[in-house]
Amino acid sequence: MITAAALQHAITAADWEALRPIIWIAGGALAVLLFDLCLPRGAHRISSVLLGVTSLVWAGGFLVRNYHTPYAAFGGAFLSDGFSVVFQGAIVLATLLSLLFVYTFEERISSAGAVALLLWAASGAMLMTGAGNLLILFLGLELLSLALYALCGMASRRAAREAALKYLLLSSMASAVMLYGMVLLFGVTGSVNFSAFLAPPPGNPLYLVALGLFYVGVAFKLGLVPFHIWMPDVFEGAPLPVTAFMSVATKAGMLAVLARIIYVATPAGLANKVLLPIWVVAALSMIIGNLAALSQSNLKRLLAYSGIGQIGYIVAAFAGATALGLRYALFYLLAYLFMTLGAFAVIAALSDQADEGARLVSYAGLAHRRPMLAAAMSFFLIGLAGLPPTVGFMGKLLLLSSVLNAGYISLAVLLIVGTAISIYAYAKIIRVMYAPMRHEVVAGAMSATWPLPWIAIAICSVAVLGLGLYPLVPSAVLPLVK
Amino acid sequence: MITALILGPILGGLLLFALPRTADAAARACGVVLALAALVVTLTGSTLPDESIAWLQRPFIANYHVGLGQGLGFWLVALLNLCTMCAIAVIKVPRVRDFTALMLLLEGSMAGVFLARDLLVFALFWDLMLLPVFLVLIGWCGHATAAWKYLIYNVLGGLTLLLATAAFGIAAGTTDVIGHGPIPVLTPTWAAWIFAGFAFAFLVKTPVWPFHGWMPETYVELPAPMVALVSGIQSKAGLYGFLVIAWVLFAEQMHAMVPVFGSLAVIGLVYGGCMALVQSDIKRVVAYSSLSHLGLILLAIMSGQPLALQGAIVYMLAHGLFNVALFLGLGFVEVREGTRVLSRLGGLGVSNPRLAGALIFAALAALGLPGLGGFSGELLILTGLYQAGDYWQTIVALLVIIVAAAYMLRLFQGTMQGPVSDDLPQRPDLSAVEVLALIPLAAMIVLLGVNPSVLSSGVEPSNAVIHALPLQKERA
Repeated sequence: MITAAALQHAITAADWEALRPIIWIAGGALAVLLFDLCLPRGAHRISSVLLGVTSLVWAGGFLVRNYHTPYAAFGGAFLSDGFSVVFQGAIVLATLLSLLFVYTFEERISSAGAVALLLWAASGAMLMTGAGNLLILFLGLELLSLALYALCGMASRRAAREAALKYLLLSSMASAVMLYGMVLLFGVTGSVNFSAFLAPPPGNPLYLVALGLFYVGVAFKLGLVPFHIWMPDVFEGAPLPVTAFMSVATKAGMLAVLARIIYVATPAGLANKVLLPIWVVAALSMIIGNLAALSQSNLKRLLAYSGIGQIGYIVAAFAGATALGLRYALFYLLAYLFMTLGAFAVIAALSDQADEGARLVSYAGLAHRRPMLAAAMSFFLIGLAGLPPTVGFMGKLLLLSSVLNAGYISLAVLLIVGTAISIYAYAKIIRVMYAPMRHEVVAGAMSATWPLPWIAIAICSVAVLGLGLYPLVPSAVLPLVK
Repeated sequence: MITALILGPILGGLLLFALPRTADAAARACGVVLALAALVVTLTGSTLPDESIAWLQRPFIANYHVGLGQGLGFWLVALLNLCTMCAIAVIKVPRVRDFTALMLLLEGSMAGVFLARDLLVFALFWDLMLLPVFLVLIGWCGHATAAWKYLIYNVLGGLTLLLATAAFGIAAGTTDVIGHGPIPVLTPTWAAWIFAGFAFAFLVKTPVWPFHGWMPETYVELPAPMVALVSGIQSKAGLYGFLVIAWVLFAEQMHAMVPVFGSLAVIGLVYGGCMALVQSDIKRVVAYSSLSHLGLILLAIMSGQPLALQGAIVYMLAHGLFNVALFLGLGFVEVREGTRVLSRLGGLGVSNPRLAGALIFAALAALGLPGLGGFSGELLILTGLYQAGDYWQTIVALLVIIVAAAYMLRLFQGTMQGPVSDDLPQRPDLSAVEVLALIPLAAMIVLLGVNPSVLSSGVEPSNAVIHALPLQKERA
């Protein structure tokens, strides 16, 4: 029993060191709640956001330190290596940017509660990235999911309650399926450690069944086709910061799990059988996700569908199980993070208490009313479409090379087809913003009240342009094999 | 300094947005000055060394490598800067500042395509090129279909090019291969597929029949200064790709495909000519005539005969010049009369002698009047084709040149001669600026017509690249 080994392992300071970023964030959430009690009513929102951002930045500092010191903490239960640190960094960044949109919450919603839940969700996702065994994985997953169930419903709109309920029911279902897979995996291999899956007992068909159930759970949480049905509704209904968080941070956590399974726990003999479904799911997501994005008239929904496609690209790079693929998948994850959150930042800048600026009609003629916002939105959409001079172009190129390098030529062609479809979906928004005005659109309450989304827009723009011209691809990212 | 040719217009275009929204004249003046500066740098820069900065080490080596040289790229960039300058000078659209900025972005990205010495840089600017045109199509044109057609065709081409570039990088280990260095040897399967990707992108961008679906509407919808650049110079990007990428890196595959592409070129040549005869929209006439001319150039490129190739290069430049002049002239007609329908127009020459003079000059250059640029190009191409033994193609091309005379004269007569349409405004003749903008183009057309060897300093090196290869067709 591996857990017994973990218990026998003497816990040292180095173990806590590996967990320190997560501890800081989870502790930060407690501090946010505490300060909320002490401070006067008017200062709640700003203090919660500031505290949250501080704890995230602090955690980011520890992550930078952990990047070069791979360590298997707690007897291999939590692996802090370049691989998980990059994923954790992505989660921290995504959470940080999402926190900047918290002001779009309705007045009567406790912002401290929302911030604390977001931070806990982030720590859950981070725990998943370093999980070395199924128990820690499930712990992180449930911490993430429970926080998200509550967050999804944090608005008085009917759609928000519907989103929360839908997410609760379907996601628990997926968790159950995944858990069943985990139990079977444990039954077949006699261990919960990922590394034990490398040598399954030969000839036991249950192993593949278990792995299949496990993958279904992963695919559901990632929103990959054909397990994506819940995503658009939940994304549309959930409050904007939560949607932003879910579109990147949740997926980063789950992608880390998928990558770790593929890279350290896939037996060489079974690689073809195991990678084939991943290949198919990636291909389906790229095509169907982008096709569905074509007809959307709500930006949150559109970004949900486009996210399905974009995650499909990333999973396509995993499907080759090559080192190159992992490296460029991580790079594209960062690219996706900045492009998507940049787009969400523009939506946030157009939102106010009464209305989240996500309806496509409210973008009509935006270029004539708010040229800077329209330009920023176009820039991020161009990036998502994979056109230069953005990180989307460079990321696409690197993904394509890794997919070709792995020998999946047809997958590379499908990636191009999916991109071509998606460009129409993004260009549609650009057209709405830039088309000549037929009649005067009533300039509604579309004015940014807080400077925070502008900070997010600035960060994302610089990153999308900079990483596009000079791709800083993380190098030490192959997962630890324990 | 070479980088300045790319970044100058792009950054300058972005800086234009700092001007006040209504500063039309200032924006136009800034645009002309920037394009003129780029032209001066180009003309004095033929001896500038290449600029190269390491870019990617993995998964393949790619450098930001740009070079001007003295070959085809040099002349195309010079043509680009000259035409941009003339086109910006006569911009007459709403929101001049934004339009000028997009013109400069287009100029910079096209310069990037012609200056790139690395396939990845080439692909980057190739894809960048479509953004300004798309933005103008959605921001200044009424019909969305033109924008969507343009986007879908060109995005497909651009993405295929990107895929081919990635595949080339993976297969060859480097993309820093345009016009210099040893030619990487690829396995036949890879080479065939990669070549197919490049060729598709080039065929769409040129465009060549049957990939021209986006062209007529785009040309009709775009305001004159932008369509002048797109038809005059952007259409050369595909032909340039065939000359410096396809013929050099994929000579074997090109040989295999010569009959196919040659047939497409002939079909385009005839089809474009016939369609131009029956169009009722003046811009559509030139659009289809352009399809026909580009078919002729592609035919010459496919023959691989040295004389025909020289002719192709001369004709590429001449076509750029007279097409820009034609579209600018038709733009003047459109802005003045508010219509493009041939049957509605008529008799403009009576009150607009300068406009009529400009248009007849451009039309004569387009139909191949001896002494003007079009003629010397056509003559070289036809001689070359005949020497290469492509007799029936030569005859077809000759017949189409007669058709060209017919549709160009129909265009001129329909607009400038005949009875005056009283219900049309007959606005004043060309202003001094508009005349001044056309003079450099006309001068260059004459120069190319009387002395095409002015390019010879440029044609030789690019030919040297081509001649390093077994390009001559083996004939039984």
